[in-house]
Amino acid sequence: MKFLKFLIILVFIFNTAYSNENRSELINKISKNIRCLICQGQSVYDSNSDFALSVKLVIGKKIDQGDSEKEIYEFLEKKYGEWITYDPAFNKKTFILWTLPILLFLIGGAIIFRKVNVQK
Amino acid sequence: MLTNQIGYYSIILGLIFSVLIFITSLKDLKNIKILNKKIFFLSFFQFFFVLLSFIALIFLFISSDFGNEIVFSNSHSTKPIFYKIAGAWGNHEGSLLLWLLVLTLFIFLFLLNSKNQPIKYRILTLVYQQIIIIGFFLFILLTSSPFNYLYPIPTEGLGLNPILQDPALAIHPPILYLGYVGSSIVFSASLAATTQNYISKAWAKNIKIWILISWIFLTIGILVGSIWAYYELGWGGFWFWDPVENVSLMPWLCLTALLHCVLVLEKKSLLSSWIIILSISTFILSVSGTFLVRSGVLNSVHTFANDPSRGIFILVFLFILILFSLIIFFFFKKENKDEKIKIFWLSKDTFILINNWFMMYFLSVVLIGTIYPIFLEVLSNDKISIGPPFYHKLIIPVLIPFLILMSFSQSLSWFKSKIDKINVKLILVFIISIILSFSIAKIAGSKNLYNSILVSASLYLFLVSIKDFFNRYKSYAQSISHFGFSLLILSILLNGILSTEVTANLKVGEKFIYKEGSIEFSSIKSYQKNNFKSIVGLFKIEDKKKNYVELEPELRIYNQPITITSEADIKTTIYSDKFLVMNKVKGDDYFNVRYQVKPFMIWIWISTFLLAFGGSLSLFRRINEK
Repeated sequence: MKFLKFLIILVFIFNTAYSNENRSELINKISKNIRCLICQGQSVYDSNSDFALSVKLVIGKKIDQGDSEKEIYEFLEKKYGEWITYDPAFNKKTFILWTLPILLFLIGGAIIFRKVNVQK
Repeated sequence: MLTNQIGYYSIILGLIFSVLIFITSLKDLKNIKILNKKIFFLSFFQFFFVLLSFIALIFLFISSDFGNEIVFSNSHSTKPIFYKIAGAWGNHEGSLLLWLLVLTLFIFLFLLNSKNQPIKYRILTLVYQQIIIIGFFLFILLTSSPFNYLYPIPTEGLGLNPILQDPALAIHPPILYLGYVGSSIVFSASLAATTQNYISKAWAKNIKIWILISWIFLTIGILVGSIWAYYELGWGGFWFWDPVENVSLMPWLCLTALLHCVLVLEKKSLLSSWIIILSISTFILSVSGTFLVRSGVLNSVHTFANDPSRGIFILVFLFILILFSLIIFFFFKKENKDEKIKIFWLSKDTFILINNWFMMYFLSVVLIGTIYPIFLEVLSNDKISIGPPFYHKLIIPVLIPFLILMSFSQSLSWFKSKIDKINVKLILVFIISIILSFSIAKIAGSKNLYNSILVSASLYLFLVSIKDFFNRYKSYAQSISHFGFSLLILSILLNGILSTEVTANLKVGEKFIYKEGSIEFSSIKSYQKNNFKSIVGLFKIEDKKKNYVELEPELRIYNQPITITSEADIKTTIYSDKFLVMNKVKGDDYFNVRYQVKPFMIWIWISTFLLAFGGSLSLFRRINEK
């Protein structure tokens, strides 16, 4: 179990620590997480609508200005509302969304632990 | 006109037969020695009339009878005959009739194939199934009749959405429905068995056939839908965490848990309550799937229908089903003495429980992610989107322990295993997979440790599953499915990590040079086809190693309804797919071109097929055993 914990911690550290992508890759990465507001369930990356094209341009411009990925998401959210991002932030409205699955996972683990005989 | 009437009255006759079956079986339930032959006839005629009505509908589509409302709004006289037929279930009304057809077919087959089961259990299953069937009959007759007619008769139809005019999508709904509806038998049978206190080893043997049927069709149905999304939507992805995709994944996760769990019941008569709960949830998830897709509650590419009265009907129907099953569960479920026995931790049972634990976690992530935005909007008027990043964050890290635990479980036996049996070999394989995955990371130039750990874990499972083939000659079915699953995860991961893409705006004759090679837009041609105009571009692509490939993506301009779709051109090899799609840039000679190299793409399809193939082997073995 200790080994597992160690693994999980490692994963989280390294997951947030990479950042050497070039410009067009970064545009793709960001636009995959942005909803095309005038389309039916498509991301900006997947869409060729006028809206999607102009959002892609805006993202490119912001990158050139030296904005970070996070700042770009914040900018778009401020302008179009939270609905535009596919990656809901952790806040008052969404803490149930993020924690409920994990809570259920822990409860499930506890049930199995009680059902199983470790001795003998 | 006549065909329309035949279709409509067949549905009503079918409903009358359902009521007859319901009454006869309830009467029989009181005093039975042998199963009344009448029930077989009634059940057959019920199926026969639904079939007749379905054939009538197909006939209307083939003959392009625009006097019928849904033929008018979903078909067109210039459409190829194959899509005219597929048009019958490419819409809300027709697809419900298909549901009903499979419902009546399956219960008839169940009656025929359960001869060695207790009579009361068979009849009760029939009764419970009739409740579902009558619900669907009423739904069709009251809110979505496929046989409404129009007057005056229009001369031409509105046409079928072109992205749906595709062979894979023509067969996708029927296959998926076979899976959904198969779970209705599991639902009725488990409730019947609860009522009769017949949850036992013999029952597990019988019901496993239906679990397998349902699971196999669901797997294939999801696979076909995914393949369609891959080449037709033109995005190069195969899974978008779109609500409608999630809705088909949820019953699959539940059924996968059930499939494993029922093994424990069969061997040791344990976990009976849990199995009933899983059976109920699988079917409820299937019906809610239909509800969520068809009511227009979800904002999704797949939402074609938008009618609140239908939504309310299904919601009420769902509510009744849930209430009904809960009542049966709490009033009839008897405490089983064996259930109190604890399971020894190092045995197959424990690991099946762990499998269920993870399946339920994945299910809860997908379920919460899909319905949370709906609840939030209703309660607080806030709109949020939940997309791939959410699912990836919650699911992918958990995959690591899941894969490792699954690898361990392969070498365990049903009762006690000794620790020294999980031995040096397994550790050796573990080290090999770590080394392999880090060399892959090195070759790909990726410095991401997270990815390397993921690949290590899935490689480990992959190698252990291969080892399994040689060590055991007992159950090929299981080995093939587990091997398929490990290959699936491995290909998805490698595909995700190693895929590359470039986009460019090009005019005919231009050449685009980038880091890894060049793309030349050499010519463009256009053709007039039966119901669309086609524009085909020719692209010559060369990479650094002088590998040369020509790709011809297409734009289709359909006449009815006027829609432009872009058809990707894909060159598939066993190593990778080369995927090119083009789109017209508005008011310009330029085309927007997206070129992607996607390694191991075909292995995603092959491995899912293997998964289902393993299931089929197990199914045939079980049918032959009888």
